[in-house]
Amino acid sequence: MKNLIFYIHLNTVKILLLGNEAIAYGALAGGVAVATAYPGTPSTEILETLEEFRDRFVHWAVNEKTALEIAYGATVAGARALVAMKHVGLNVAADPLHSAAYTGVEGGLVVVSADDPWMHSSQNEQDTRWYGLQAYVPVLEPSDPAEAYRYAKTAFELSEKLKHPIILRSVTRVSHVRAPVEVEPPSPPKWGRFSKDISRFNLVPAYARERRKALVEKWGTIGEVSAELMRVEPGGHVTIVTSGVAYNYVKEAVRLLNIDATIIKLGMSVPIPPKIRELVKGTVVVVEEGDSVVETQLRALRLETRGKIDGYFPKYGELNTRKVAEGIAKALDIPYNLPQPPKSPIEAPPRPPVLCPGCPHMGTFYILRLATAGLNPVWSGDIGCYSLGINTGQQDLITHMGSSVGLGMGVAVASKQFVVATVGDSTFYHSVLPQLIDLATKKVPLLVVVMDNAYTAMTGGQPSPSRLIPPEKIAEAFGIPAFVIDPADIKTSIEVVKRAVEIVKSGRPVLVVSKRPCVLVATRKARKAGVAIPKYKVEPEKCIGCGICYNLLKCSAIQARPDRKAYIDPVLCVGCGICAEVCPVDAIKGNGARVKWLEVWQQA
Amino acid sequence: MARGMATSLVIVGVGGQGALTLARWIGEAALAAGYDVRIAEIHGMSQRGGSVEVHVRFGKEVYAPVVEEGGADYVVALEAVEALRAYKYLKPSGVLVANKRVIQPPGKWVDPQLVLEAITKSGIKAYVLPCFDMAMELGSPIYENAVMLGAVSKLLNLPMPESLDERNREAFRRGARLVV
Repeated sequence: MKNLIFYIHLNTVKILLLGNEAIAYGALAGGVAVATAYPGTPSTEILETLEEFRDRFVHWAVNEKTALEIAYGATVAGARALVAMKHVGLNVAADPLHSAAYTGVEGGLVVVSADDPWMHSSQNEQDTRWYGLQAYVPVLEPSDPAEAYRYAKTAFELSEKLKHPIILRSVTRVSHVRAPVEVEPPSPPKWGRFSKDISRFNLVPAYARERRKALVEKWGTIGEVSAELMRVEPGGHVTIVTSGVAYNYVKEAVRLLNIDATIIKLGMSVPIPPKIRELVKGTVVVVEEGDSVVETQLRALRLETRGKIDGYFPKYGELNTRKVAEGIAKALDIPYNLPQPPKSPIEAPPRPPVLCPGCPHMGTFYILRLATAGLNPVWSGDIGCYSLGINTGQQDLITHMGSSVGLGMGVAVASKQFVVATVGDSTFYHSVLPQLIDLATKKVPLLVVVMDNAYTAMTGGQPSPSRLIPPEKIAEAFGIPAFVIDPADIKTSIEVVKRAVEIVKSGRPVLVVSKRPCVLVATRKARKAGVAIPKYKVEPEKCIGCGICYNLLKCSAIQARPDRKAYIDPVLCVGCGICAEVCPVDAIKGNGARVKWLEVWQQA
Repeated sequence: MARGMATSLVIVGVGGQGALTLARWIGEAALAAGYDVRIAEIHGMSQRGGSVEVHVRFGKEVYAPVVEEGGADYVVALEAVEALRAYKYLKPSGVLVANKRVIQPPGKWVDPQLVLEAITKSGIKAYVLPCFDMAMELGSPIYENAVMLGAVSKLLNLPMPESLDERNREAFRRGARLVV
């Protein structure tokens, strides 16, 4: 990436860029001055790319609401700003989004929201475009990285022209697709100055009513702008309306089906241009990724459609060429025989996501299991790597960011059961802080465990505020007793957590902070610094095949041999030595200085 | 390859083996050879130890970023169990290129011999290559993907990517010699 920056200062080049990188470079070409985000797959690389440009204000915010507020504030003051998040993050940021449409903006405001159909790394399939309709914010929908680059740049101009925020809707198969993109040099950042306008920026009822009227009127104008981003590829009498990534599958499907169709590709899928009504006669086939957002708008224009609403295309999951070809064939009532995909000669055993070998969460879960033995706790979980506690039966509820403490409180007050709420440090700051205040004022008995690995690990290790503002200090300020443990020190930690459990049993909330940095960050740093990482080995003659290391601790570097004895993959082992601590017969031995390595690791 | 049609690859492996890098190298080489390219990656959970799947398509004109079941010209597997999992992507005329290495899935011990036999006797054209052993000869499993790259590049008639460092270049050359 460093090379790229060098090149783009020389001239325009075509290089392979991830959709998210393309959005970042598009924003740079568009003169972005302020860029904020909360990491979330598949959106993270947008801000990661922008981070390298020190002449802009680039910030990983504590959550999406704060991120959008900073960007919105900057654009109210006339600067150009981009805020990036995953689709579910837009729920967190929904409040300021709606207000931004009412007040409008002075500098361009681009809200990037990346959807994740089929939930590769998410809890739901929500379609960002509904927010466009709901909040009266136009939605641009790029189909590939090259278009994502152009739309990101265009979005700033458009937003400024309309004095209105713009949503750039990406999906996994745009954000995380690498394709050739032509990149221009960055434009200088556009900063601004706040000019007071009482009746515009104060959404008190008297003024808000006027803003509402203006907003509805503006929406009509935006419909006309939408027509400028519509592209008609003329063909036969069959008309296919499509947008975003779905366009690609349409292009391949019509070739596969050998049909001559007119393809109308919408660049702005919310609102669709009312003018489209004049372009089509009869029934149109509608192909879109996500919900039937375009189709619903087409029907509102009294057009007859065949899309997702009547089941011509699947209502869940991701599209692909096969599904689109099948759907188009069904909609046009033409025969199409799909070749059957071949069957594997033997079925591959599943390889579900697991915690990385040596992950501190593995130690924490083991400690929690032993310290709460006999209590049959309800495990109120959260979004992050530690969701994988599901593999050891230690996550019973995982619903959304910050669900652990809120839902945990609800379960505890409703059922009087013993509840353990597990949450990572980044999620703790993102959305558990307010809940902690309710927990403190209401004194609900809850064992809150912050699995503090000092990074936002699941999205690749973005910074977390945990070293600057330690969770235990916050708990103390709130009057909640706090304990700190090291997940690599199993025996001591179990005793500490047992004390915490006693306090919960007496009817009060407790916070346990399990501190050890993400193993991926630690091993990366150790490799750079030339620090030796010990390896652990099982002595087969001593191993009794109890399975504690591979079933309960469940280290993914350890497998059960056919005779049930343990085997540690030497390539995967990162020398945390936790397995040696939990082995009841002392059959696991390391070859190096564990203490030194754990010290270096703790500083990672 | 029919004219105008893209070549579709599904590249699979276990998290940490460098499947993403392998896909990017192939993409880089295809771009250098004058093709349009799409690489569909999946990021997120299971950075280490989970199944990883990346789709690469290149040709004169490419639209769809993903390969559907029954649509792959090549399945390239850095691990043998994953080769079987990705089998469904192959066209009947497709080619399977698999590393002769089994990384045990959690919880269930699979017989490596059985897995490799299933691949070689499946009826499709298959190459089973000692990428792991060759990488270890070079001193580290991290060269595994570059060995595989050499073999696949030979089959696809793609050049060596410029961004390879010297060690990986050596791995590439050795990999290319595996398919004659």
